[in-house]
Amino acid sequence: MDISILGGPILGIIPLGDIVLYFTPFNLFMFAAALAFTALIAISSTESQVEAEFGTLKNREVKVDKAEFKLRRFLAIVCGLATAGAMVTGDLFDFTLFVTLIGIVNIGIVAAVKEIDVLDAAFQYGLIAMIGTLPLFGGAALILASTGTISLLQIVQIPYTTSLMLFGSILFFLGVAGETGVAPFFATKAEMFRTPGSPFLLIIHLSSLLIIVRTIEILLIINKPF
Amino acid sequence: MTATVLVPNVVSPVVVGLFLPAVFTGIIVGLIGLLSISYQKNDLHALILTDIVGIGMLIIVASVGTDLAESLVLPGLVVELAEIMAISEILMSREIRKQGKTVDLMPMPLNLDMEVLTTAPIFFAIILVAYGAFLSGFTGGAIAGGGILFYVITRLARGVPANIWEGLAGASGIAWCLWLVGFLIFFVAPDYWLLALFLSAFGVFIKVTFKASLVGVMGREEFKKE
Repeated sequence: MDISILGGPILGIIPLGDIVLYFTPFNLFMFAAALAFTALIAISSTESQVEAEFGTLKNREVKVDKAEFKLRRFLAIVCGLATAGAMVTGDLFDFTLFVTLIGIVNIGIVAAVKEIDVLDAAFQYGLIAMIGTLPLFGGAALILASTGTISLLQIVQIPYTTSLMLFGSILFFLGVAGETGVAPFFATKAEMFRTPGSPFLLIIHLSSLLIIVRTIEILLIINKPF
Repeated sequence: MTATVLVPNVVSPVVVGLFLPAVFTGIIVGLIGLLSISYQKNDLHALILTDIVGIGMLIIVASVGTDLAESLVLPGLVVELAEIMAISEILMSREIRKQGKTVDLMPMPLNLDMEVLTTAPIFFAIILVAYGAFLSGFTGGAIAGGGILFYVITRLARGVPANIWEGLAGASGIAWCLWLVGFLIFFVAPDYWLLALFLSAFGVFIKVTFKASLVGVMGREEFKKE
């Protein structure tokens, strides 16, 4: 059970001192997907939206404030880049930081819509994300304590699995779920995807999906269940 | 297969024995925080109680007690602060909006009116800056920045020339570049570690100093509006 079985053959590594990035076809595919979506967000201009009026044959154009729109698009781009970074990192520490960055940016994206209902959802999501930092960092710290390293290429060479590693992994998964996993729920709860000028908010869904998939890969690497 | 003990022999067994109690303390603190949030109906109280959960996270990470764990403590603290600031902004923006007023992207109703600000001696500021310069690095930067911030706040009545502070902002940016260059040297050319260490230490010292003092400038702009 090692990295090359999980994600295909290792195509290469980038050693940056302690931090080693590694590339497998699995990681590279998700990295490219996140980057492509981010590029689409960066070049699109969706500040005006045409809606069909009910009962008549007219159309209605809805525009959003330019400042608000720019802020949201910037946050969405940061979210996309953080997702792309989390896909290729070979280090639990980097991955944790990318996940928390995505969490903070998601709070910003949801909160940029200035309506009371949306702000309610943003507040609740923010509380969940803050609570989620306990299992996230706690899990990472317990994995560090039980393995002695947070580099995945080192962890994969450890032949045994202790119960503390399993406990840390469960905490870590809970943390990822609280930090980014619940974000689509709160975004959908506030009907954010139908507010004008925000189709690119689907980056919340994409980042959540990709991060969960990568988390499962990391937990398989740590716990070696097969 | 049995797990090997990763702790070196020089560490006293008492310290090693503290690890599991510390982890459980952190988890219990988190659970107490969650329990009190579940009883709490006031949003502001829920936000403050969420910070207790974050402190539980810091306890767990700090219980590991290695240098790698320190690399998790600092981001954990920063993430916690960033999220609590973001959520309190959301809460303020929502409450202002509920009253029917329009609100900026960044609401900041700051009003400091304390007698101690006009009578406190500047000597404190000098001591803080000198001590921060002695410490250098991030901690020193924070302390020296606190000193400058103290000076600015105490001298608010006379007014501070704005162009000086704008120049400080530029110097802060340049110092930040020094810090980044120092980090790059660490990774690319580890042989020159001493140069990199000093670049990083003093770059981050100057940067954090000016950054913290710029908070004073931003506060002054807000004072002027009122």
